[in-house]
Amino acid sequence: MAMQLRVTDGAITNRVLANLQGNLTRVGNLQEQLSSGKQISRPSDSPTGTVSAMQLRGESRAVQQYTRNASDGLGWLGVIDTALTSSLSQTGKVRELVLQGMSAGTASTPDAREAIAAEVENLRKSLIGVANTKYLDRPVFGGTTTGERAFDGNGSFVGDTGTVMRTVGDNSKVQVDANGAAVFGANGTDSQLFTVLESIAANLRGSNTAGLDADLQNLDVAIGTIKTNLADVGARYNRIETSRTAADDRLLNVKSKLSEIEDIDLPNTIMQMQLQQTAYQAALQATAKVIQPSLMDFLR
Amino acid sequence: MASTFSGITTALSSLYAQRRALDVAGQNIANANTEGYTRQRVQMTSASGNTMPTMWSTSDGIGNGVAISDIRRTRDEFLEGRGREERANISYLTNQKQQFVTIENTFAEPSDTALQHQLGELWGAFGDVANNPNDKAIRTALIQQGNTVVDGIHSAYNALGAQWKANRDQADALATEVNTLAKNIAQLNTTIQRATAAGLPVNEMADQRDVQLMKLSELTGATASIQADGTAAVYLGGSGLVQGVTAREIRVTGADRLQNQTGDPANSVAVRWADSGTPAQVGGTLASIQDTLVTTIPKYANSLDGVAANLANTVNTLHAGGYGLDGVTGRAFFTGSTAESIKVAFDNPDFVAASSTAGTFDAANADALADLATTPGGAGETYAVMIANLGVEAQSVDRRQAIQAVVTQDTDAARESFAGVNLDEEMTQLITYQRGYEAASRVLTAVDEMLDVLINRMAV
Repeated sequence: MAMQLRVTDGAITNRVLANLQGNLTRVGNLQEQLSSGKQISRPSDSPTGTVSAMQLRGESRAVQQYTRNASDGLGWLGVIDTALTSSLSQTGKVRELVLQGMSAGTASTPDAREAIAAEVENLRKSLIGVANTKYLDRPVFGGTTTGERAFDGNGSFVGDTGTVMRTVGDNSKVQVDANGAAVFGANGTDSQLFTVLESIAANLRGSNTAGLDADLQNLDVAIGTIKTNLADVGARYNRIETSRTAADDRLLNVKSKLSEIEDIDLPNTIMQMQLQQTAYQAALQATAKVIQPSLMDFLR
Repeated sequence: MASTFSGITTALSSLYAQRRALDVAGQNIANANTEGYTRQRVQMTSASGNTMPTMWSTSDGIGNGVAISDIRRTRDEFLEGRGREERANISYLTNQKQQFVTIENTFAEPSDTALQHQLGELWGAFGDVANNPNDKAIRTALIQQGNTVVDGIHSAYNALGAQWKANRDQADALATEVNTLAKNIAQLNTTIQRATAAGLPVNEMADQRDVQLMKLSELTGATASIQADGTAAVYLGGSGLVQGVTAREIRVTGADRLQNQTGDPANSVAVRWADSGTPAQVGGTLASIQDTLVTTIPKYANSLDGVAANLANTVNTLHAGGYGLDGVTGRAFFTGSTAESIKVAFDNPDFVAASSTAGTFDAANADALADLATTPGGAGETYAVMIANLGVEAQSVDRRQAIQAVVTQDTDAARESFAGVNLDEEMTQLITYQRGYEAASRVLTAVDEMLDVLINRMAV
């Protein structure tokens, strides 16, 4: 305060009012903080805090999206894993049937060979069904095809070579599909699974032992390809799961940082509130004492 | 030798003077709570004997009583001048503070609902389309999210426009108020000038005029100086607003909506002299409103335009590189590139260019769009920079206002301590003059008794 020669009633009143107002404003601010639970409610409360808060919110949103992308990717890979496991067991069954057909040799009757051939054909159909497995209405082996199927009824690959990717972290994209042409063999190649199976059925019916030999080699190549892909799918599944765990951890981290910046320290704020209330009450009491008496009270 | 009866007139002059002083103390007490009232002091002068003795006019060396030479307003023009200046400053800053509170409320950051959040949701929606490019419902949700962002930008821009318009209207109203105040001051000047010439007291009128001057300074930062004839000369940035008995007028010219407020000085909002059309330099509330209209709001509107342009540009560039479900490429996602005009270009979910290869569910393009969430220099970052600037500016205004409030309080207190009424003091004065009156009466009685002896009892 500037030095004053005189003190007037007006000056005292103004000062008292200003002090009480200041006290009440601080109480009001603390009350706002307590009721909202936030120490930053507008940019001017802390410009740097606000920017950090905004960045952290953006980061939190992005990380949550990574988690969603990862879940979706795990969905794809899980379906593919099941399909490939089922394919392996069915191709294994075919392999047994081929061996059975070969070992029986010429001794077996045409009826018996026909029965085996029919079973192989059934397994082929079932495998085509497996190869057309869908996840969320998309054939998981069809690449980025807009079509309904990855393989047509004849076992020809009708998908495309596009890859389905999921972003599971900053600059971290993982392929979540397995291309039908890569898994089951490209159209026109000898080891294309469905071509092999067709050939097996025909050679069984025709008792073509030499043909069955070649078929068996091709079938082993096809089975090997499926196994490799299954391992690859498993590896990618793990990679996405790791990313998701990392994203969850990061989200927790981001949220605690955000809370650190934005949220009030409750015990501290409550204590400040107590102090401020005490100060306000003291100011009120002091005012009551100062304002009251004047010379008039002592003159008759 | 002095007159036999001279004692009576001396006592009488004292009775008059003490009464007058009692009245003044009474007036002070009566106005203890009147805003702008200046306490008055009776200036008593002892009436001297003749200092130039002549044959018929000689003096015994004793005075002839007391006279009231002046009833003075206890007012320090220097303090008043400072008071006007500080009040103008606090008015400016308080208005600025309010403007920034409004702008901060407009953007409402940081929060889980404002534009930053909506932008995040938009990137998320692109991510969802990347996950399910075949799902039309998710594509539709993306378009809706685009609309939400656009709505957020529009409503922020409209809020700035509304704030601008409210200030523009207030500027006109303030100009009218300023003109009225200036006219009132000129009128009071007229009255004061005449009364001073006639030797009549002008204290209460001067008080009234000072109140109006203070109000004028708060509104416009006007400065004033009191002239020898008692009139106040009022200046706006060095140019006379009120000179003696004449007042000039100001008016606010220029754009009438935010969109029309440009850097072009011919179009820009300005406070001008009504007669000459040249710009008037103002301070106080009017200056704050002028700054808000010319600088602050347009600045944040431009920043918002920048955010909109950045958003439209970054999204459109990527989007145009992709293919919609209908196989068409080169489509923009947003049309318009200002905060006012930006819109989502289509409402057909098939048009969302999620694929980077035609005729496939390859969602690489949607994925690239989702990556804008973390791309440096994107719309989110532009927006965050703007909010940071807003925070810093608002905080600085807040602090300056808080400091200025203390300075203003101090100046007001100093003025009040000089010019204000202290009841204790007035009570003391009251008793002093009351006693003076009683004593003068006692003198009169003594002279009366003395004359009684002389006239009625001598030589009886």
